[in-house]
Amino acid sequence: MVFNSLTFMVFFACVLAMHSLPFSWTTKKINLIVASYLFYSAWNPPFVILLWVSTVVDWYAAQGLVKARRQAARHAWMVLSVVANLGMLGYFKYGQFLLDNFTAVMSALGVAYHPAHYDIVLPVGISFYTFATMSYTLDVYLRRALPAQNLLDYALFVTFFPHLVAGPIMRPTELVPQFETPRAASPQQLRFGLALMTIGLFNKVVLADSFLSHVAESVYDGDKIPGTLDAWAGTLAFSGQIFCDFAGYSTTAIGAALCLGFAMSDNFRFPYAAVGFSDFWRRWHITLSSWLRDYLYIPLGGNRHGARRTYAALMTTMLLGGLWHGANWTFVAWGGLHGLYLAAERALRARFANYRPGPLMFVVLGLLTYALVNVTWVFFRAKTFGKAWVVLRGMLGQSGAVKPILDTFSLLCVLVIVGGMVATHWLMRGRTLESVIARAPAVLVSIVWGLLAFAIVIAQGAGSAFIYFQF
Amino acid sequence: MTGPPPADRYARQTAADRPGIAQPVPLRPVPEQPWSRIFAAALLIFALLLGGWEAYWRAYGVHPGIANTYGLWTIQRRRIDAGEGDATVLLGASRVFFDIQLPVWERLAGRRPIQLAIEGTSPLPFLEDLADDPRFTGRVLVGVAPDVFFSGYQYRGGVLSYMRRESPSQRIGQWLSMHFVEPYLAFDDPDYALATLLARQPWPARPGKRWFTEVRKLSESELDRNTHLWSKVGDDPQYRELARNIWREGFEPSDDDPTPQEAAKAEHEQIERAAKAVAKLRARGVRVLFVRMPSTGEYIAYENKEFPRARTWDALLARSGAPGIHFEDYPELRPDVQGYYLPEWSHMARPDGERFTAALYRVIQRDFWGPGAAEAAAAPRSPAAR
Repeated sequence: MVFNSLTFMVFFACVLAMHSLPFSWTTKKINLIVASYLFYSAWNPPFVILLWVSTVVDWYAAQGLVKARRQAARHAWMVLSVVANLGMLGYFKYGQFLLDNFTAVMSALGVAYHPAHYDIVLPVGISFYTFATMSYTLDVYLRRALPAQNLLDYALFVTFFPHLVAGPIMRPTELVPQFETPRAASPQQLRFGLALMTIGLFNKVVLADSFLSHVAESVYDGDKIPGTLDAWAGTLAFSGQIFCDFAGYSTTAIGAALCLGFAMSDNFRFPYAAVGFSDFWRRWHITLSSWLRDYLYIPLGGNRHGARRTYAALMTTMLLGGLWHGANWTFVAWGGLHGLYLAAERALRARFANYRPGPLMFVVLGLLTYALVNVTWVFFRAKTFGKAWVVLRGMLGQSGAVKPILDTFSLLCVLVIVGGMVATHWLMRGRTLESVIARAPAVLVSIVWGLLAFAIVIAQGAGSAFIYFQF
Repeated sequence: MTGPPPADRYARQTAADRPGIAQPVPLRPVPEQPWSRIFAAALLIFALLLGGWEAYWRAYGVHPGIANTYGLWTIQRRRIDAGEGDATVLLGASRVFFDIQLPVWERLAGRRPIQLAIEGTSPLPFLEDLADDPRFTGRVLVGVAPDVFFSGYQYRGGVLSYMRRESPSQRIGQWLSMHFVEPYLAFDDPDYALATLLARQPWPARPGKRWFTEVRKLSESELDRNTHLWSKVGDDPQYRELARNIWREGFEPSDDDPTPQEAAKAEHEQIERAAKAVAKLRARGVRVLFVRMPSTGEYIAYENKEFPRARTWDALLARSGAPGIHFEDYPELRPDVQGYYLPEWSHMARPDGERFTAALYRVIQRDFWGPGAAEAAAAPRSPAAR
């Protein structure tokens, strides 16, 4: 079920009530596991089996790793976990993509290959929980962590509903210790958790769904050629939509966990105020970028084997990171562009090691970063390269004389919301939400909270899915 | 003397700051504030705002009602799969949806039909869906609004796909909403959603971009999708004029209009699809009846100009071989004879819809579906009968 639904409100109220009853800690954890399976099966009940497979495989792989005496055996257990997880991911997420590309290659070679129709439904959140469970085995393999003490704690780590389908991608070392000893949210945590959920849902329901999604759809999903203003407005709208959608989800998830007494990792740190791309990736989808760094970039050699290997590792990581987002070459192009940006930044930093930008240049570089990030969003949002080129040509003023697509209200939405969002990110660049709330008058916090909740209700969201569910 | 700003005591590292290690339990500090008082005050502000919002829309004339969602439609469609395959099903766009009153039909027939008409949407995909469903063995009335039916327009065409993919969560959400939220809140209507309200403000027009006013709230629905025209459309002259002006905008030529060739192709395709679906249904004994629902004023003038009867309606009956009722052929169905009131030329006021439903049911029974009506039902009503 999605957070922005009536079903979730009722579900969450029941979970909170159950969690506050005087059961034993083990019973409470079983309640949470059952609730998490219900949460997941509310999309498609049979896919719960995949969760079990992912849980059981990695549990036994980690046990095997600990018991193994020879390095080859340890290696084999690790490979089993990776193959099982990536195999599941590959079958459900990339099967059609691989088949399509194979058919295209055959066709290019003059072989008419007609595969049977591959009618597989993508299990929601599979990319997230396979990465979470893999990190468990990999941490044990890399001797960074010990396995969980009992299956219940580990299973709850995998299935814990706040992070299950769209992250933050939790590591076992972040969550399993929290399940080992009894925990309950303090009244302060409960209320702040509810406040975070309100902020997250406001981002999703009001900003992303009500005001920005239709602008991006008008430009990207229609058959009209956008001019410069429309192409930029549509792309900026998407930059706002995807942030509000995804950061909104993460904030709601963090809030929901806090209401139950658990702490989850930060996933966003005002990314549109990033200066440079390494800074951007320290602020955007932090739990994915750090996962890719720890389990892909570093094992590939990282920056330990000279410039050439570093750039190769960087590009490989970003290309695969792009593919993680979806089975389409446009996502690979998105990742590739980010890889190129990171590589270029690395080269420039080496060339101008002593350069320190002044305040004005700092902002200019930040805005340049944001503009270049928007170029990558074109490939992320467009369903085909053809559409991406059409929008890019528009952004570069190469569309010629075309009719306007967006009306004044849509342009205003982009100006006010995306402009406000970027300005807010700059104001919050070096701060935390908590510090700003702590310094604000209590009356103001109440008014803002009440207004956000009111806006969520009167926006009448249709319970639309979060963008990242498809990844 | 001013020093550096005090360090952020809530600052914390993220996984981005800790490469290559096992990540520790995250910190999640709660800002120091009187949270109990803040929560109570926020709740009070929220309740006051919501109460005011609800009062405003009730004063405007909106009543709490059931939202015409995809989920509500799906509940009705599932009745066919759950043992009511022999029922009478109503398909069509808004005219069948608003004008045919299920309680009246039930009073006369002894059984309530299943209302599957949906506004602004061609009934063809739904007719095809029934044709493909062997569980459906009943009767089907297909409303024909020429501009929707023969163009294949799909304002809410996503409903079939929704039905096929509806998750348990969506199903539960629909049930909760229709029983515990919608019956009590007037503002809970897509027409009064925040973004919709803001978008319809008189923003300055963008040069070169033609402005179309979105269709406003026209109807009120009940749990089984029995629906009627909202009384405000008939009673409030200003609102009625607004509704008429919205139709007028649609009558004006636009750059987005199909070329005459494209329109003719679309008409042909719709008729062919309908004929195929009808043949499939009739092959297993399902009776299909097309009904051209009444329209008046500038609306019928537009329809007659753009979708002339001989080219569309008559061609549909001839090609499909199914019988049909054109309201102009039956004095008991004609607004000019019976005085049915269609405030915005397209839909009847509720009492007139009730009268019309009774008249339509009697015509159907007399000429098509009743005992001894088999001969009339066997052949389409010929243009000569007009």
